[in-house]
Amino acid sequence: MFSNLYRQCLVEKHFVYNLFPLCKWSQCFASSQPELATESTIQAFEEPEKRSIKLEQRFIYPEFLPDPKIEWRNSIRERLERQDMLKRRSQIEIPEFYVGTIMAVTSFTPHSTSKKNRFLGICIQRKGCGLRATFVLRNIIDNLGTEVAYHLYDPTIEKIEVIRLEKRLDDELFYLRDALPEYSTFPLDMEPVILPDNTPIPVNTTQVILKPRPWVGRWERTDFKGINREHMMTLISDKMKMQIAKHQKPWEKYDLMKQYRATIPEEEQKEIFAEVYSQLHQLELGKKKSKRIRTFVKPKKSA
Amino acid sequence: MKYIRNYRKSFQLVIFCRQASYSSVSVVRNQNEIFDNELARQTSDIGRIEKITVNVHEKIKNETFSMNKHLSTPFNVAQHISKWMVEKSALALVDNSKVWDMHKPLEDDCSLRFLSFTDEDPHHVNKAFWRTCSFVLGAVIQNAFNDSIKVLLHSFPSPQITSGSFVHDAMVSLDDWKPSSDELRCLSADMLKLSLKELPIERLTVKEQLAQEIFAENKFKLQQIPDISKNSGGKVTLYRVGSHIDISKGPMISNTSLIGRCSVTSVHSIETDNGKLYRFQGIALPKGLLLNHFAYKILEDRSTKLNTKDYGSTKKQAMV
Amino acid sequence: MNQADLSKLVSKLRINIRPRHYNLKNPKGPEGRLERLRIVVTGLIKHERIQLNYRVADEARGYAERLISEAIRYGDCHAPTMEIADYWLTEKQLIHKLFKVLVPRFHECNMSYTKLLRLSTDHELTRMQGVLELRGNPYPPLIKDLSRNRNLLHNVLLDAARKDYRHEQYLRIAQGMSSEGKKSNEETITGNIEDKDKNEKA
Repeated sequence: MFSNLYRQCLVEKHFVYNLFPLCKWSQCFASSQPELATESTIQAFEEPEKRSIKLEQRFIYPEFLPDPKIEWRNSIRERLERQDMLKRRSQIEIPEFYVGTIMAVTSFTPHSTSKKNRFLGICIQRKGCGLRATFVLRNIIDNLGTEVAYHLYDPTIEKIEVIRLEKRLDDELFYLRDALPEYSTFPLDMEPVILPDNTPIPVNTTQVILKPRPWVGRWERTDFKGINREHMMTLISDKMKMQIAKHQKPWEKYDLMKQYRATIPEEEQKEIFAEVYSQLHQLELGKKKSKRIRTFVKPKKSA
Repeated sequence: MKYIRNYRKSFQLVIFCRQASYSSVSVVRNQNEIFDNELARQTSDIGRIEKITVNVHEKIKNETFSMNKHLSTPFNVAQHISKWMVEKSALALVDNSKVWDMHKPLEDDCSLRFLSFTDEDPHHVNKAFWRTCSFVLGAVIQNAFNDSIKVLLHSFPSPQITSGSFVHDAMVSLDDWKPSSDELRCLSADMLKLSLKELPIERLTVKEQLAQEIFAENKFKLQQIPDISKNSGGKVTLYRVGSHIDISKGPMISNTSLIGRCSVTSVHSIETDNGKLYRFQGIALPKGLLLNHFAYKILEDRSTKLNTKDYGSTKKQAMV
Repeated sequence: MNQADLSKLVSKLRINIRPRHYNLKNPKGPEGRLERLRIVVTGLIKHERIQLNYRVADEARGYAERLISEAIRYGDCHAPTMEIADYWLTEKQLIHKLFKVLVPRFHECNMSYTKLLRLSTDHELTRMQGVLELRGNPYPPLIKDLSRNRNLLHNVLLDAARKDYRHEQYLRIAQGMSSEGKKSNEETITGNIEDKDKNEKA
C-alpha cells in the first residue's frame, strides 16, 4: 500500500503544498539564520511525509469524507457509516479508481437468464459520500450511448474490476455524451492492463472533439481541459461566443468561505483517516497478497 | 420522593391521592389580599403628587430626571434610561450612601447610581442576592410539598456568603425526613422555574398590627414580629415574590430573573428553641456570572455541609 | 448529496460557521458582495477593531479568519496565497502587516483570531450593530474580565471554598500528628494554621 501511496504522492502537485503546513511553518519563517533554516527544513521533510500519507488517502477513498454541508453533519451517523463501508469492503474488493478509469462491474439482476450482468465502460463521474457513494460508467453498445449509475456499496454488486487504471484531465466527463462516439466506445471484452508497482497513475490527456450542436450542456462556458477548444469554437455561433465572458465567475477563486463550506477541514480529515487507517491497511495488504499470487502466472502484455 | 409535589406531577407516580385542602390556598389568597389592599391604601394616601429631581450618575454621562415623590422607584428611572439598564441593575445607591431597593419609592431629591453584579466592588449587591435567594427558597419550600404535609416557614439568617450556602429554616410535619437526590433536584427545578418566570420582588412597609394579621397562621412569625417592629420603629418590612410573602429587613434584588444557576443542595434537621426544624440549604449564582461545571460542583459540594449561621438561636434569626 | 472538495486542504476555523452565507443584497450580485466584504476585511486588518452592521461583520469575520489561516498555513512564498491576500487587502502595505505582524501573532494561537460582539441597541428600528476585532489588539478590552475581580460573587465563593479546604487539610495533618501521640505538637500546629490563615487574609 505504501508504494501505491508514494506513487500517488508523486503525481499530486498538491503534495508539494502539503509539506508547508506540516513542517512547522514557523521554523522556516521565524529563523533568521539561513543555515538553521535549511537544517530544519531537511529535518521536517521526513516527518510530514509519514503524516501526509494518511491525508493522501482522500483521493483513493473520497467517499470516507462526509458531506460538507453543515446541516447534514452528524458525527455518530458518519462513524456508523464508515464502519458499514469497511464491512462491505471486507466482503468484496473495491479497487482504487478515478474518473476516466475503464472499469467493469458485474452485478446481480433478476431479468437476465444467468441472473448476472457485466457492464464495461469509462467512469465519467464519482459522486456522493458514505454509503450513498455512486459512480457512473459510460459505453456505447450497439451504437447506443449507455450509462449505468452504480452505488459503490450496493450489495447486489458482485465484482468490480479495473480494466485500465488512468485519470483524465477533468473531474467529470459528461462531455463525452456530446463527443464523437469513438471516445466512449470500449469493447466489452477488453483485457485488463496491469500497472507495475511504484508507477504513477497515468493521466490520459486526450482532448475530445465534440459533435455539432445541439449538446446536453453549455460546454463553451465551462473550462474543461479535456475538450478540444479550438474545434469547439468552430461549432458555436457568434452570439454564443459573445456570451462566454458574461458567464465567467472570476471572483469565485477568492471566495474563501465558499471553498471552506465545500470541503472538510484538514484536521477533521486526519481524524477520519486515522480512524479507518488500520482497517484499510489490512484490506490493502490482503489485496496485495492475492494480486501477487495472480500476477505470478505471467501476465499478458497488452497493446 | 413521595412528599414532593413536582415529582409526582412530572413522573406520574401518584402515591398520595391529592386531597383538596383549600386551607393553604385560602391562607395565601388572604395574605395577598391584605398586601394588595395595604399597597393600594398607601398609594392613595400620597395625595397630591410632588416632583423630585433625580440625578443619575453613569460612566458615560449624567442625566437628570423629574420623578414623582413617594411614587417613582429607581426601577422607573432605569426604565427611562434603557432596557439593558432595567435588566442588569440589581440595586440602587441613593446619595452615594443608602442602598435602595429597585422597587422602593424615592422620597426626596437625590442622586442615584445603579448597582449590578459585575461592578468593581459588588459587596451590597452580593449580600442582597444571597438574601433574595434565601427568600425565594422560602417560596419554593412553601409550594413544593404535598397538601397532606404541613409546612411552616420559620425564618432565614442574615446573609453570609463565605459560609457557602444560603439558608431557609422551616417546620415540616415529617419525622426524620432525608431528601433523596431526586427530591432535591425537584426543589432546584422549582427555584429555577421561579427565576424563569421573571417575577419582580415587591416591597412594602406595614405596621406591626397588619403584619400580625398577615401572618396569623404562622406561629413563628407571630413570635418574631414584636421584636422586629421594636427595632425598626413599629414598622415591619414585607417582601413579595409571586404570591409568597415574607418578612425581611432587605434590601433585595429587583427581579428573580437575575438569579442564574441555582440548586437546592441539602436539607438538615436542626434542634432549636422552637422545636425541630429543617434547614434548607442551596447555592446560586447571578445570571451574568459564568462558572464551569467543575468549579460549580465544588461549590455545590461545599454547600451541602450544615451551615451553622445563627444555629439554634431563633431570636437572632428574627432580626433578618 | 455532495462530495467534499478534495483539491484544496484548509485549516479548521475555530469560529461557528453559519450553514449558509448571508446574501448581503448588492446591485452587482455576488461579485459586489465580495467587494463589500473586501472593504471590511481590509478595514479590520488595518484598524484591528471596527464597528459595523452585525450581519456584515459576521460574514466578513469568516473571510478574515480564512485569510489569516491561509497566511499561517502557506506563508508569504506561496503564489496562490499571495494572490488571495492581494485581492482581499486593497491597501498593499497591509499585505506586509498580514505576513509580518499577524502571522507571528497568531501562529501558535489555539483560539479564533477574531472576536465578534453584539452591541446593544436602544431603538428597535436601528439595525443590529456589532464590533469586530482582532485578538491581541492594542485597545482597552470591551468586556469586563470577570475572572480576575475577587469581589464578584463566584470568586468570593471560590475563595471561601479554597480557604475551607486548606483549613480541613491542616486539621487532618494535625490529627495525624496527634494520633501518633505527639500531643504537645498539636497546639503549635493549630497556632501555625491560624497564622497562615492570617497571612492569606493579608
